[in-house]
Amino acid sequence: MLNIIACFKWVIDHEDIKINPETHELVLDRAGYRISDYDRFAIEEAVALTEQYGGSTTAVTVGLPAAKKSLKDALARGPEKAIFINDPAFHNLEPSQTAAILAQSISNQEYDLIICGEGSGDLYAQQVGPRLAEHLNIPCASFVRKITIEGRELIAERRVDEGIEVISMPLPALVTVLPEINSPRVPGLKDTLSAAKKPVVEITASDLGQTFASCLETVEIKATTMERNCEKFGAEKDELKRFIDVLCRAGVVD
Amino acid sequence: MAGVWVFAENYDYCLELLQIGRSLADKTGVQLTAFACGDKGIGQQYIYYGADQVFILPPLAEDQPLGTYVPAIVEAARQEDPDIILCAATLRGKEIAARVAAGLNTGLCSECIALAINSDNKLEMKRVIYGGAAMQTLTCKTRPQMATIPPHTFTPVTELDDTRSGIIKEIGPISSTPVKVLAKKPRAKESGDITRSRVLVCVGRGVEKEGDLKLAGDLAETLGGDLACTRPIAEELHWMPQETYIGLSGQKVKPELYIGLGISGQIQHTTGIRDARVICSINKDEDAPIFKISDYGIVGDLYEVVPFLSQELARLKKK
Repeated sequence: MLNIIACFKWVIDHEDIKINPETHELVLDRAGYRISDYDRFAIEEAVALTEQYGGSTTAVTVGLPAAKKSLKDALARGPEKAIFINDPAFHNLEPSQTAAILAQSISNQEYDLIICGEGSGDLYAQQVGPRLAEHLNIPCASFVRKITIEGRELIAERRVDEGIEVISMPLPALVTVLPEINSPRVPGLKDTLSAAKKPVVEITASDLGQTFASCLETVEIKATTMERNCEKFGAEKDELKRFIDVLCRAGVVD
Repeated sequence: MAGVWVFAENYDYCLELLQIGRSLADKTGVQLTAFACGDKGIGQQYIYYGADQVFILPPLAEDQPLGTYVPAIVEAARQEDPDIILCAATLRGKEIAARVAAGLNTGLCSECIALAINSDNKLEMKRVIYGGAAMQTLTCKTRPQMATIPPHTFTPVTELDDTRSGIIKEIGPISSTPVKVLAKKPRAKESGDITRSRVLVCVGRGVEKEGDLKLAGDLAETLGGDLACTRPIAEELHWMPQETYIGLSGQKVKPELYIGLGISGQIQHTTGIRDARVICSINKDEDAPIFKISDYGIVGDLYEVVPFLSQELARLKKK
């Protein structure tokens, strides 16, 4: 039986981000939020493993009280319950804070395995998983593409720069998973309806008995700009010849 | 000895970090220290290439993962209190840096693409966020100030000075970890390293079937370039190897010429081609976002445009 914790983050949908053309500042106030795409694979993997080996999955998130909206979506994806760690102070948390808050909240839970996405859809710092493992003093493997459980050992295929490394580690352990590990199921109406009845444990900052200071300071956030010629050509032959001519003159075709 | 420390899992990436590390150390008037994994000879090379000091980590046994070094790095940093630690952002390097940062209770700027020393003598670090839509500038309030640096962000040091001397210090021992390496499967050399290509033809979802990759391949070959792809082509369709996809979570490339075929231009992809010199795209949807970040765009059906371009370019070449 496996007790699995799947971590997820409620992130801004960056397709909704608008840019103020004069100041290059981001306009975020009308953007929607969603479960970070990468974390859907973490939730799916946890649920699939408990289906295969028996056990249950707890979905955990840290964020502002408004992230409550994420719980139904997360639970509709298969976990039996959720832990919602939230506080109005949990605004713009950096990875070190998120990992410390998760560690403090999870440390008195029973778990065999913690699964995180490879990174978050907003910051994509890819730190929370390994940092969390370090705080909990459990072994960790990141960028995992396949998980097998053999007794109290976890076998993982992880990506490294020169290929694949197959590792084993004793449970409890933490893995961060790559999107290639599975294809997340799409929740149906029944899943969504049953999600509303699943238990949610709420934890607030005062329950954690400590504060979590930031380490980093943001000097500025500016929209990235890519200034390019933006010249368009048609698909007719003379247009394509003109296109080739332009590339030759730019010195990129010889 | 405080100062700037650099850690990379391989020699080439370490030379890149020595380049930027040396400049940061000189600007702040401190020493530069490099870690060498298990080899004194390499340590001596790092000194010739600009390090003032080298920490030799003990060699790893066959079943020990690179992460075994984490406690030794944390311990060394606790004792010597460096100002800055830079780590090559390889897949393993990113995990190691995050664990070291957690061990030292400090901040880490992931995949930092620009570094400068500000007027307070602090490290100012830039990274992309929101899938590439924005650039964040950060400083670190805690010590050491840490960053991971993607490979190929800085050019490696090339000037070797074999009269340089420095301190070589063995650190460790390393204790065994519960993580054991059971097998290593090096990637089959299916493709070259697209981060070094001069010309890249990149395919996206607009390419309808796997057999059509030949069209793109022909164009790449005519141009003396290589084939690359977007994430779904590699990760969902498995038409092309993992290491050929460009984007936020894949390769960042800087070719002289990039030609995107049937690519819509999602920010997660285009952030990987930011440093290309000339960006061209072919897409039948004239409103495709890729045209907004292209130098030259062809609005048309790639199945008609690409064969014509290949043929015409081949004809020019013969001349």
